[in-house]
Amino acid sequence: SERKSSPTTYRERPGLPASSPLLPLRPSPPRPIPAALNSSRRDRKPPEPWGLWLLRALQVAEVLETIVSGCLGPDGRQVLCTKPTGEVLLSRDGGRLLEALHLEHPIARMIVACVSSHLRKTGDGAKTYIIFFCHLLRGLHSVTDKEKDSLVSKNIQTHGRYWKNCCQWKLISQTFLTFQTQILDYIVDHYLSKHFLSVFPSPTKVKTLCRTSLTFLLDAYFCGRIGRNNQNFISQLTSDYFFKCMACESGFEEVFELVDDCFVELNIGVTGLPVSDSRIIDGLVLHRDFSVYCPADGEMSIVIVTDTIQPLFSSSGSEFVLKSEAQFQKSQFWITERTKAIMEHLQNQNVKLLLSSVKQPDLVIYYAGLNGISVVECLSAEEVSLIQRIIGLSPFIIPQASLQSEISNPALVKFCKPLVLRSKRYVHLGLISTCSFTPHCVVLCGPVQGLVEQHKDALHGAFKMLRQLFKGLDLNYVTPAGDQNYISDPFTSKDSRKNNQLPEIFNDSIQRPDRDMIVKNKNEGAKTETYLKVYSNLVVPSKELKTGTPGSTPKMISTDTYQTDEIVRYLPPNKTRVIDDPEPLESTPLANSTTEDTKNEISYENLKVTETAFKGSILSVGDESPDTCSSQNYCSSSIPAGSVLPVGGNFEILLHYYLANYAKSCQQSKETMVVSMMIANALLSIPRLLYKAKKGNNSFPQIYVRAVHALQNNQPVLSSHTGLESVAGKYQLLTSVLQCLTKILTIDLIINIKRQPQKICDQDSEDEL
Amino acid sequence: KEAAFNLSLILKEEMKNTSWIRKNWLLVAGVSFIGVHLGTYFLQWSAKQSVKSQSVIKRKNMSHLEAKKPSLCESEPLASERFRTTLSVFKGIVSSCYGPTGRLKQLHNGIGGSVCTTSQSSALLANLSVTHPILKILTTSLQNHVSCFSDCGLFTAILCCNLIENAQRIGLTPTTVIKLNKHLLSLCTSYLSSEVCCCRISVDFSSTHLLLCLVRSILTSKPACMLIKKEIDHVSALILKAFLLTIPENAKDHIILGKSIIIPLKGQRVIDSTVLPGILIEVPDIQVMKILPVKKSDSLKVALFCSSLSGDLSDTGEGTVLVTYGVSLENAVLEQLLNLGRQLVNDGVDLVLCQKVIHPSLKQFLSVHHIIAIDRVGVALMEPLSKATGTQPIGSLDSISPNSYGSVKDLRSTKFGSKHFFHLLPNEATVCSLLLCNRNDTTWDELKRTCQTALHVLQLTIKEPYILLGGGCTETHLAAYIRYKICNEPENILKDNGCTQVELQLIAEAFCSALESLARSLEHDGGDILTDLKYGHFWSVQANSPSVNWQDLLSRCGCGLYNSQEELSWSFLRSTHQAFMPQTCLPHEAVSSDNNLTLDCFTSKISGLQVAVETANLILDLSYVIEDNN
Repeated sequence: SERKSSPTTYRERPGLPASSPLLPLRPSPPRPIPAALNSSRRDRKPPEPWGLWLLRALQVAEVLETIVSGCLGPDGRQVLCTKPTGEVLLSRDGGRLLEALHLEHPIARMIVACVSSHLRKTGDGAKTYIIFFCHLLRGLHSVTDKEKDSLVSKNIQTHGRYWKNCCQWKLISQTFLTFQTQILDYIVDHYLSKHFLSVFPSPTKVKTLCRTSLTFLLDAYFCGRIGRNNQNFISQLTSDYFFKCMACESGFEEVFELVDDCFVELNIGVTGLPVSDSRIIDGLVLHRDFSVYCPADGEMSIVIVTDTIQPLFSSSGSEFVLKSEAQFQKSQFWITERTKAIMEHLQNQNVKLLLSSVKQPDLVIYYAGLNGISVVECLSAEEVSLIQRIIGLSPFIIPQASLQSEISNPALVKFCKPLVLRSKRYVHLGLISTCSFTPHCVVLCGPVQGLVEQHKDALHGAFKMLRQLFKGLDLNYVTPAGDQNYISDPFTSKDSRKNNQLPEIFNDSIQRPDRDMIVKNKNEGAKTETYLKVYSNLVVPSKELKTGTPGSTPKMISTDTYQTDEIVRYLPPNKTRVIDDPEPLESTPLANSTTEDTKNEISYENLKVTETAFKGSILSVGDESPDTCSSQNYCSSSIPAGSVLPVGGNFEILLHYYLANYAKSCQQSKETMVVSMMIANALLSIPRLLYKAKKGNNSFPQIYVRAVHALQNNQPVLSSHTGLESVAGKYQLLTSVLQCLTKILTIDLIINIKRQPQKICDQDSEDEL
Repeated sequence: KEAAFNLSLILKEEMKNTSWIRKNWLLVAGVSFIGVHLGTYFLQWSAKQSVKSQSVIKRKNMSHLEAKKPSLCESEPLASERFRTTLSVFKGIVSSCYGPTGRLKQLHNGIGGSVCTTSQSSALLANLSVTHPILKILTTSLQNHVSCFSDCGLFTAILCCNLIENAQRIGLTPTTVIKLNKHLLSLCTSYLSSEVCCCRISVDFSSTHLLLCLVRSILTSKPACMLIKKEIDHVSALILKAFLLTIPENAKDHIILGKSIIIPLKGQRVIDSTVLPGILIEVPDIQVMKILPVKKSDSLKVALFCSSLSGDLSDTGEGTVLVTYGVSLENAVLEQLLNLGRQLVNDGVDLVLCQKVIHPSLKQFLSVHHIIAIDRVGVALMEPLSKATGTQPIGSLDSISPNSYGSVKDLRSTKFGSKHFFHLLPNEATVCSLLLCNRNDTTWDELKRTCQTALHVLQLTIKEPYILLGGGCTETHLAAYIRYKICNEPENILKDNGCTQVELQLIAEAFCSALESLARSLEHDGGDILTDLKYGHFWSVQANSPSVNWQDLLSRCGCGLYNSQEELSWSFLRSTHQAFMPQTCLPHEAVSSDNNLTLDCFTSKISGLQVAVETANLILDLSYVIEDNN
């Protein structure tokens, strides 16, 4: 009966046999068409018919999917990559794996390029990207197969046919694009947004972070990124690190930004020690030793130089004429005296530490040692800029004439001492921060370099993900003004009159208290108050509901944080009154249509839709044009910063549900409907993979049925996971997969050329000059 | 040539038969001559062409960047036959080296070059070239451990291999194995660091007895040093002495240990090795003859230069320096150096040390003024020298601040073997020199590595003042402890990990047998290993001995703490026996009196255990291997 409930989702895919010892990066035996990833299309003269093209892309994606799906989710395993230099690297990071494969096939290279550009932006989701992409292609492929059977069989495959086919594919890709730009945003904004949770404990303007929600986020993130036996430890380490770095409650965005930018300088890898020896060190650690170290106590001034302190005979572009030996000796003497004077001057200013981005001559080191100034040389530009960012100090410029002037803004250091980690010496600085970042360093230990690198990458990715999470994401879409009935939820549209928006708000409001309670239960006594923010563009642009304790009455606050419309309409008082008394509303005529048979019916329809409707769409694509321009209504909204959903495919199941409903209700344009259906089905692939190994109550069919049932009854969707994941990240992933697909669909032919594509750049002309 | 010869033969044959050819032989000979020459010409031409085209192809390849080859991806790499055989070969190598009776390995590259005879993990791992990616993970992990802790490399290697092999044999899912292995590891470490643990001895620094036992155990376990008992005693006493010399006399709240410098003296007897406080600087013998050690007061004034005194020009900047004709910069610099010399003389310096080269003229000048100049000291000695003499390394040629001079108590010239040394005796320093002798290069190298290990182990012991029982006793005891814990109180582990009792039993058995087979690999002569059922210690017995009266056959356990005359019962290590709680009390009087205990470093063994389990977990978690073949 489970199978019946959603037949489309249980189609067994013809995957690769997992037991094959060598994965077919070379031609695989079980595949009918060889060369899955390595193109052999150089010899082929006539262009391939489009179906084959798609098949090829699908094969490529499937091979990638097999590799990637082994690492997905909490039960994923590690992959060992060897580099040509002989290093070995452990990884579960999808992006790194794809790069390590050095794929040759042009489509594969394109996919990898798309994935890595997505990763640069968000730092997460490469594996999900590939799996989702592969399932979309599979959906497209199954549709084309049908189409070919019914239509093409009569025709001879000619070039004319091929080009015609291409035109249609272009249209399909355009549909994908329209879907991505218009429908997706609409659905996210209208339906999905009511499920969003927020990581911020209070909906005030001053955002603060609570440790519990951050831990949930990080736990979920590291589950997919590093080996199983270190996940909890590294997650704990990361959240400790973050809270230690945060100077004040409010400036956490700045901290994320800084840590993300300068992560290389903020960590130290130590090999040979067990992972559990990793720790956080107060202060900044520079990856080099003192050139000269003079122990000093108390606070001291610090100076950064970017040039050699010792004056040289001649600077670049000038000429120094030596006329006699005496002159040479005198100038040598002057140089010595001058250096001595500068160092003494620095000592007088209580400078105890000199940081230099260049190598200083022996003379400078000698006088520094005599004057009790510790010197650290050869700092990288990144280290210098990090120090400058933390303490707000500009490099010291040696005055040309007199040394009387005081150093303008001396920065202070609490301590500076050598730090020995595994017989390697480092410089340990206790910088006094002037920004919201309190400098701390994380020491990552591991038995092998490969593991340390993996943890470093994961930590960096986590900060990138968090940084992304706390940015709001804009949603822009077009609503056909008169078509409210069309787009809205089928159940609500059936039962409530659209002109009166009151019941809808009721529905939202009723379920809120219990939803909140469940969140509370889930957190299990952790003192987090999770607040649900519900955005509804229908009545007020933004309203937030705060429920302090389960028993208290819901209170409505209307804020203007995310509002974009000009008019703010406050709720009429009678609505609030109704909400205060939730008893009569429980019998809203909502629940009567949500029964098991409806679900079955929907699912059957979904199946039918994918199989049959596309025919029509392909035929009718040409003559439909968007003619609703006049009645369009441009809306813009946003996914608020810090929106999260529980992990475990929650986002996917929710979006699947709403997309399927949308597709069902959207009778107007067939191709949009087909595309939405296809995307909805592809979305389910991720939770299905996640729960593959689970049995009984936690198996995918059970979870799916439960979720759909809950949604139909307007009950909160329960999740067995405590982890959280960013909604914006997921949304971005979806859009970039669609963009990548569009890109691949619009290409009609791959031409193999012998040389690099010539770059048009201005450098040539400069070289000639 | 051959062609021509054949042709002439043929011609001879033909001439016999046909008259026409004989008549026109001159013509025939001429034509064939021309033909042969043309043929060779064409041959040569074509050969030249082919060479040319090859070179053209080469040049073309050089100019184009070659596309990267796709990587090779292997799924379930642990199941492959290739990995199993490689792992068992590696395990064979490391386990045959283990222990005092371990077999030696000879490493050589087959084309000459030095030969290394060793049984130490550090030398072995550094020289083995491993190509299998998974084994590479294993060896780098071991190397990192060895470079951190010097000791217990083979222990870690064998344990890791055993764990991987055992986990594969039981065939449970990697998730369960990893989770439970981690749990068993934490059981081990918490037991070993707890007070009740009876294979841990806390070190009493008021006597050298335990430390000497520790050093002696390390020396004994390295058979490639080729030492006899007397030599072992001598060298271990030297090592301990050298270590004690690096400890500062008046230590404050935290101790900064000094340095002991190992100086090679190859070709001497081991018994001639010695340890001296202070620094030895080797000098060519000619220089020693010139030295006139004049001692003016009770200490000598020392100047230590880090910049070159050879008279080369320093950095002149990015611009150009124009020197007018007739101006000799060399003279100018030399003049400057001599001025420096004059200043040194005026300041009453007795000894000038330079990291780099001293100009011969300056040297001459200094020796005229009875100043000893030693150059080319090298960067490695700079820090100990600067610390021992209390000097500030001088980087200036023009003026020297009097603060930067240091002093030594005495300076002697000594001779060891055929080498001459200056012996700097500092006033109060934590630097000492260990003159190490052995018969040849190979054994000297091995002895040096062993000494470094021993010194490092002593340093680790002073940080964490505990020692573990060695000789396999810790391993068997630990295995017995874990067996008992799993049998009798499995509830905690089951509750935490969500696995079944059977899974836990299987994995615990695999873990314990990995520990026991590690202990078993101490025996290389075909003997049997027993364990007593009271302390869980390690007893070895000769091969093929009748198992009637163990009490008479056995003498002492592996670590030497217990002897067989106690009322004990024994069982073969590999046989199954009733799980028992090993007795948890340590006979303190035996520990403090017995001189023949075999001991192991606590810190490195604990870390070795952790690294072995972590690395095994890491390897068991692999699902794919991607090899980049570019």
